[in-house]
Amino acid sequence: MFFHIVLERNMQLHPRHFGRDLRDKLVSKLMKDVEGTCSGRHGFIVAITGIESVGKGLIRDGTGFVTFPVKYQCVVFRPFKGEIVEAVVTMVNKMGFFAEAGPVQIFVSNHLIPDDMEFQSGDVPNYTTSDGSVKIQKESEVRLKIIGTRVDATEIFCIGTIKDDFLGVISDPGANP
Amino acid sequence: MSSIEPFNRLVKLAARAFYDDLPTKGENQTKTGRSDNRGLAVVILDALTRRQWVREEDLAKDLKLHTKQLRRTLRFFEEEKLITRDHRKETAKGAKIYNAAVAATADGQQNGRDGDDKLKLHTHSYCCLDYSQIYDVVRYRLHRMKKKLKDELDSKNTVQEYICPGCNKRYTALDALRLISPYDEYFHCESCNGVLVAESDKLAAQELGDGDDNARRRRQEKLKDMLTKMEEQLKPLMDQLGRVKDLPVPEFGNLQAWELRANAAGRANGDYNANDPSKNSQGLGFGGTPMPYLGETKVEVAFSDEKGDIKSVNPSAPTKVLPPWMIREGMNLTKEQRGEAKSEETKSDLKTALELSDDKKSTVNDDTKNIQDEYVKAYYAALLLRQREKEETSKKEEESPNKEVSTERQVGEKSKRDDFEGDDVEWEDAAPPTGSTSDPIDLNKEAAASDSSDEEDIWEDG
Repeated sequence: MFFHIVLERNMQLHPRHFGRDLRDKLVSKLMKDVEGTCSGRHGFIVAITGIESVGKGLIRDGTGFVTFPVKYQCVVFRPFKGEIVEAVVTMVNKMGFFAEAGPVQIFVSNHLIPDDMEFQSGDVPNYTTSDGSVKIQKESEVRLKIIGTRVDATEIFCIGTIKDDFLGVISDPGANP
Repeated sequence: MSSIEPFNRLVKLAARAFYDDLPTKGENQTKTGRSDNRGLAVVILDALTRRQWVREEDLAKDLKLHTKQLRRTLRFFEEEKLITRDHRKETAKGAKIYNAAVAATADGQQNGRDGDDKLKLHTHSYCCLDYSQIYDVVRYRLHRMKKKLKDELDSKNTVQEYICPGCNKRYTALDALRLISPYDEYFHCESCNGVLVAESDKLAAQELGDGDDNARRRRQEKLKDMLTKMEEQLKPLMDQLGRVKDLPVPEFGNLQAWELRANAAGRANGDYNANDPSKNSQGLGFGGTPMPYLGETKVEVAFSDEKGDIKSVNPSAPTKVLPPWMIREGMNLTKEQRGEAKSEETKSDLKTALELSDDKKSTVNDDTKNIQDEYVKAYYAALLLRQREKEETSKKEEESPNKEVSTERQVGEKSKRDDFEGDDVEWEDAAPPTGSTSDPIDLNKEAAASDSSDEEDIWEDG
């Protein structure tokens, strides 16, 4: 699920950036530092949408670096149990398959894959129904339901299932290349 | 407590369904074969359904169990939320309160533990079934069982577990990212690098196989089987749950509240009178209303005093509150000595006047008495004719033979309530102040002894 929230961060800026475009430098550094990171508390920070305020800078003794407390608005993504997401399959093996929904890694184990899909090893490992009409392989897009999350301080990992109504392949790279 | 029966049945069913094999291995391992304790839990729960709050030592004695053994099981039940327990330090006196409460409960077990009167403080433990919680616990348990089986059945919402056959280390699917190896398509153990196998099912875990289709199908069947079996074997329990659903849950409250209530109930049943002499004076007439109140608030002494006051005051009041036993008493007295005295008093006098007359009676002259007699008779007859219907008159006729002696009193009576016929009862009412003020308790006894009840009723009806 996506959220638009305000976060705060202390930015350290090198003295060489002090000048007319100090503020721009500060923002671009903030984006570089923060976007794409993950915190267990808020989820993945997808994008910074604006700066709320930049506090007074504090010059560090010895180094000359200046610390600015910056408040910024950002979009975060945090997966929840029970959430339905669409993901791209990244790896298929005998134990199940891995998929990515944006920054989130999701593992779908083989017993959460419908019983009529069988693992086919080979050049392109995949799960296929007996009549061959549905195939899950690398690069397939699947809709899945998250049934468990593991949230660490800097990492979120999910397990999902496609063994439910309206879940499964939504576009097959093999079908229309 | 009429609704307690279905709940007891629920407890019994639950006990047999879930706690049949208790106590479990921990104990049996230590002393194997020496004694087979299985089923003990059921026995204890059954015993508890027949009791309310019970002291654990007493329960142990009743069940011929060792206290320690009983305690262990009770502690288990407490954890299972089936019973509530209460521990308190108490002297022998405290124990007596409890005993009284036990005696008062209808189905309470009489256990004569009154004997040991040590003044030392002992910690006593009490336990009691907690019906409302039992109901919830059982329901929750059933729900969990069903949910687990169902989830397992369609593999829904279950996190797959993996186990390393080499070092028995377990992983869940959440660890999957760390377990994949770049070289093959299996998960590898972090510590020994062995190939992990999926723990295909937790419930029917015979074949730790590689989760091929056959195994999976077999597992499914097993689970389905289990589910149906559970449904049918636990059906009585579920039915009972449904039956109990809309019934009010019997609540005993905590130990103190229960004791108070039980004691109060005992008093209301009449047990109390035997115990408390102060109550005796009240007689049956007051039995109904005040008792429960007394029991709860424990202000019996003050209350009874108050009653006494009321009694003494009553005679002066013209209302019909006059206690029946007083009537009795008055009658007896008057027959012996006081007929004359009363005759003096005319209808106009209230009871207060009668009281005065009592004092004077000895001084009264016979002459005056005769005159009064005549007058009274005439007056009485006139009144009677005017007001009474035939039934009343008939009664009067019955009484008339006595009248020569007692007419005077009747007259006194009439002044108070014209409506009433000239029954003996009426003048009896008037009499009480004379004799009764001295010792009400005696009066009461006399009242009890004589069969005054019929007359009372008539009087009250009027």
